[in-house]
Amino acid sequence: MITTMVGNYPKISPDAKAPNLRTAINRFDEGRISADELRRVEEEVTREVIDDQIEAGLDLVTDGHIRWDDGQTYFARGISGYTVNGLIRYFDTNTYYRHPIPEQPLRPNGSISVNDYEFAAAHSRQPVKAVLTGPYTLARLSQLGCYADLRSLAMDLADILNREAKALQDAGAPVIQLDEPSILKHKEDVDLFEEAVERALDGVTAAKALCTYFGDAAGIHHVLFGLSVDVVGLDFVMGPANYDLITDLPQQKTLGCGIVDARNTRAETAEEVAAAIRRLAGTVDAERLHLNPSCGLDYLPRPNARAKLVRLVEGAELARKETS
Amino acid sequence: MTTGLLTTAVGSYPKPDYITRARGRFQRGQIGAEELADLEKQATAHWIAVQEELGMDVLVDGEMYRGDMVAYFAENMAGFTNSGLVRSYGNRYYRKPIATGPVGRDKPVTVDWWRYAQSLTDKPVKGMLTGPYTIVDWSFNEHYPTREAFLMDMARVVHEEAMDLAKAGARYIQIDEPALSVRPEEMEMAARAFAIVTDGLDAFTITHICYGDFAAVFPHLANFPVDMLDMETTNSDYDFLELIRGHPTFDKYVAMGVVDVHSHRVESLESVKSGIRMGLDVLPPERLFIDPDCGMKTRTEEECVAKLRVIGDAVREVKAELGIE
Repeated sequence: MITTMVGNYPKISPDAKAPNLRTAINRFDEGRISADELRRVEEEVTREVIDDQIEAGLDLVTDGHIRWDDGQTYFARGISGYTVNGLIRYFDTNTYYRHPIPEQPLRPNGSISVNDYEFAAAHSRQPVKAVLTGPYTLARLSQLGCYADLRSLAMDLADILNREAKALQDAGAPVIQLDEPSILKHKEDVDLFEEAVERALDGVTAAKALCTYFGDAAGIHHVLFGLSVDVVGLDFVMGPANYDLITDLPQQKTLGCGIVDARNTRAETAEEVAAAIRRLAGTVDAERLHLNPSCGLDYLPRPNARAKLVRLVEGAELARKETS
Repeated sequence: MTTGLLTTAVGSYPKPDYITRARGRFQRGQIGAEELADLEKQATAHWIAVQEELGMDVLVDGEMYRGDMVAYFAENMAGFTNSGLVRSYGNRYYRKPIATGPVGRDKPVTVDWWRYAQSLTDKPVKGMLTGPYTIVDWSFNEHYPTREAFLMDMARVVHEEAMDLAKAGARYIQIDEPALSVRPEEMEMAARAFAIVTDGLDAFTITHICYGDFAAVFPHLANFPVDMLDMETTNSDYDFLELIRGHPTFDKYVAMGVVDVHSHRVESLESVKSGIRMGLDVLPPERLFIDPDCGMKTRTEEECVAKLRVIGDAVREVKAELGIE
């Protein structure tokens, strides 16, 4: 049983002494600091965010996605053929992302996230998970642009993300996670989704994780559980129906468990977290559980996000003591 | 002779620099609440005069005294505190309200501002509220056991505010629900909450909705407990009109956005007239109001006035061509 994050973490801190990314980006936009100076601030914040996770006691960390504007733009800007258009609402979150448009057929343009991954890995005592927005979700959240249909766009993205996943694996990433929240909103696309995910992970030998959030997987859980991945992540906060689906999880799979609410400031008690773990462990062996917030923590102010991680770890400790 | 095609606006107008500066000084404790309010009144009077000069029919106060449409109510109601900074997109951050106790009102929040704005003009000024679903969806909740419990309590508070506006004399009351279109599975619950707000309300009620999957929620919108739907139509290529066309029993009034509030470019007279004619293809003029897509606070004053002016010019020409009064 290990504790981890889904992916992103708040970029700014209320601590006046902490490196201030918000100010740095404003200064960069006004031409008052250079790209190198901005990158140094991003690096300082990334280190701070990794330290937060390690201090909270997480076993597997991420780089917090400090350099990502959003989960689409970060990849779209690194893929040849994409342009990035105006703001559009991201699911039901009241946050916005920039709408990517494939103006030309998409082609890889060197690695997208490997440098960022290597920086994080070099500055973490704990293993660092690499996270990619999955090919289905990236296609769904793009316009079709020059593509005739969603399938052809998703398959081109799957090929590009497959190269990226292999480059991350070569850089030493022990776990590579694909985030696929969109499939929960368009379950009718599950065949296309399966094909795209398999293609994106084809030949990857690092541990593979598939992560969903913002709902439950009822109706498509057999497909999720049958993917060639090691970890299947479900959101038990916005998708309580997931508790009833996990009886069908195959023995060899690990369950990624979103059990603290990453979209609300109220901090769960350690006892509440332990109760959720007990409920899961009633169905899936405790050693096959990865515990994490319900989605990325970037919806919360930094102090609340940190508290969520602390309570997650405390709850896991409590549950471990009971079972040992 | 048929009447109709009244012109209005969705809510906010750009704040002049002196208001932006004064709000900053107020936050730093350098000026008092009264000094800030005096400047906000001055800016409100300016926008009322602009709208009268442009010949608009149903006016708004421009929201010179509001920051965020949810935070404004949370800050002036009981039961809320503000969170630390959360990210909206890119490098934009805001403080999101947190419900930490039962929500309620010590006194009316918007009535004094409405009275002031209405005192400046003989044209009707809309009472402007944020709907319960949007307040709940855009707040954190540390108090209520469920979203539904939070929502129904919030609906009762917004209802009290709406009743106070009607009592003060507001003939048009707009209760904005921009969050409404993103969770089709919650539409039924949202409609129940909205029915609490408009229950027994003696005013023409409007709700503004934007950015979402209108097709998925249209059957609910067609039966929403409100008189008029104010829709962002330009930015979604007038798709909303097709939904109305496909729903012959649709009987609501519609305020149709004919200029994009996110673009700096001022629309041509011809494109706005063509948008109005598209609206008239599916709705009679007496059930069709014309306005911008959304609040205009992100535009410059020049862009905003130019967009309002082209709406007024286009409506006058279409009315003359079709003999509408």
